[in-house]
Amino acid sequence: MLGTLFALSLVCAFVVKPASKYELKRESNSDVRSENANRLRLLTWNIGNGDLESETRAHTEDLPAVAKVILDNDADAVALQELTGNEQLKLLLQYLENRYSGYVCSSADGDRVEAVLVKKNSERGEYAYRRGAGAIFSDVPAGDRFAAAATFRVQKDSPEVVLVSAHADAFSASRRRQFATDATNWARSHTKSELTFIAGDFNFEVSTRNKNNLFTDHAKHDSESYAYLLKYFRDLGLDAGETSINDRRIDYVFGPMANVSLRRAEVLRSVAIGRMDHWPLLVEVAF
Amino acid sequence: MITHLRLELLKLVRSKGFYLSFAALSAFVMLMLWGFYSYAQKKTSGLANEQFKYTYESKTYFNGLTFTLYSLMFAFSLVIPIFVAMTAGGQIACERRAGTLRMICIRPVSRASIVVAKFLVVAIHTYLLLAFFIGLNLLVGLLFVGWGNLELYPGPLNLVDAPGRILRDEALWRFCYASFSGTWALLVVAAIAMLLSVIFRNPVTAVAATIAIYLMLYIVGRIEFFVDLRPFFFTTDMDFWRDVLKPEVPWPDLYHYVATCGAYIFGLMLTAVIIFERKDITT
Repeated sequence: MLGTLFALSLVCAFVVKPASKYELKRESNSDVRSENANRLRLLTWNIGNGDLESETRAHTEDLPAVAKVILDNDADAVALQELTGNEQLKLLLQYLENRYSGYVCSSADGDRVEAVLVKKNSERGEYAYRRGAGAIFSDVPAGDRFAAAATFRVQKDSPEVVLVSAHADAFSASRRRQFATDATNWARSHTKSELTFIAGDFNFEVSTRNKNNLFTDHAKHDSESYAYLLKYFRDLGLDAGETSINDRRIDYVFGPMANVSLRRAEVLRSVAIGRMDHWPLLVEVAF
Repeated sequence: MITHLRLELLKLVRSKGFYLSFAALSAFVMLMLWGFYSYAQKKTSGLANEQFKYTYESKTYFNGLTFTLYSLMFAFSLVIPIFVAMTAGGQIACERRAGTLRMICIRPVSRASIVVAKFLVVAIHTYLLLAFFIGLNLLVGLLFVGWGNLELYPGPLNLVDAPGRILRDEALWRFCYASFSGTWALLVVAAIAMLLSVIFRNPVTAVAATIAIYLMLYIVGRIEFFVDLRPFFFTTDMDFWRDVLKPEVPWPDLYHYVATCGAYIFGLMLTAVIIFERKDITT
């Protein structure tokens, strides 16, 4: 009898396959394509380097490759993290053949800044016009640092889009929580747009894969940061998988709950540059 | 078989270890209550209140059902398997050590039915432990923490990927399901202990070896170095019991892991029976 039960269990275990996590989530997070809608392609990328490097901020010699990735993927707006300052932004805009306008936020007391880029020229559609010229940039105070925000339109008559480039503290979950709360509150109170996106490296990992801890204050803070963001936004890169080395998903694009449909969310793992420890996350939505 | 099962149950309820396991779990619930209560107080008053108002912006996050969930998660991983291993590991080895195994084996019952009857008693004990633990937590939670819905968030406990909620009545049913899924998962540990109890003469060795195997795989499975080995550990498959506490129960996953744990249980028991039938009992 035991032998029969053993054989039966083995057969059942092989026949009844667990549903793939990816497939389950695809059903819940992907939307029906709307062919006639406006398209918005956002890219977020922490272009800093791994902890083992003497310079963990972005390396100037990597910027041509960064520009190539942005151009190849035809991003409408880009959120970049861990630049050294305005000089690197200027250089990057040159490598981007001046097809983008950009802005870096104040550094506060830190040694690195976040940047937001907006594409200037539309190369598609009948409403082609200089979009970037109309982009408005600003600092977003969040916790003890700043994020960079851009307000722009994709098409002449399309609704206003706001993109915030954010980088939360790497070491303190409490500071990350304050940062996420402030950035979310800013996005809700300072923008009239219904199309607000917060993108960047939030440094929190709330995946069910991460089972190392039973319950810690750090885990609780990060969980609350994520829950607060999800109260008003949708995690558009949920299905895209890990964005950083060691299988971590710590880069996010949070977008509106409604008014947009997700067309694509992909981590561009083939474009790793130098000793960077993050991959770019590309999200395309229709609205 | 039925007579043998009745006799084994009688032995179980007369053993001190049976009552010790319930007493230890009750003490664990009290410890959890103190920890949970003081943590909730700390997080909802003083500076924390000024900074963050409420945990997850919910006044009712800390309630009896959340308390039960946390308590069950922690105890299931670290406390309950020890008592299951203690009961199962002593089943054959204790009889051998006490000199009663020979006498049992000369009765007109097959050796296989002896092992199976003993394992069924262990299964009953495991279910009673879990049902008692869940019931006590719910009772203590109701009396000292209060009722509410079960709110789940990504991060702590690693249960969900997105915030979710299970309504109170549904959550009570889910805890009922968890008593069954948890028992099934723990029977893998019980089957290992039974096998080792057949192999070793000393019950302490059988129990210690079972706990060592369980803890080693449990801990190693949580270290990123061994991420590629993780799918091959029985402790990974045992984790399925928590799926019934998710807002949307992933039934295909659940069936798969129930079958996988079944394969472990019946495979180990089959091995135990084969070894026991061929064993020369000299004491």
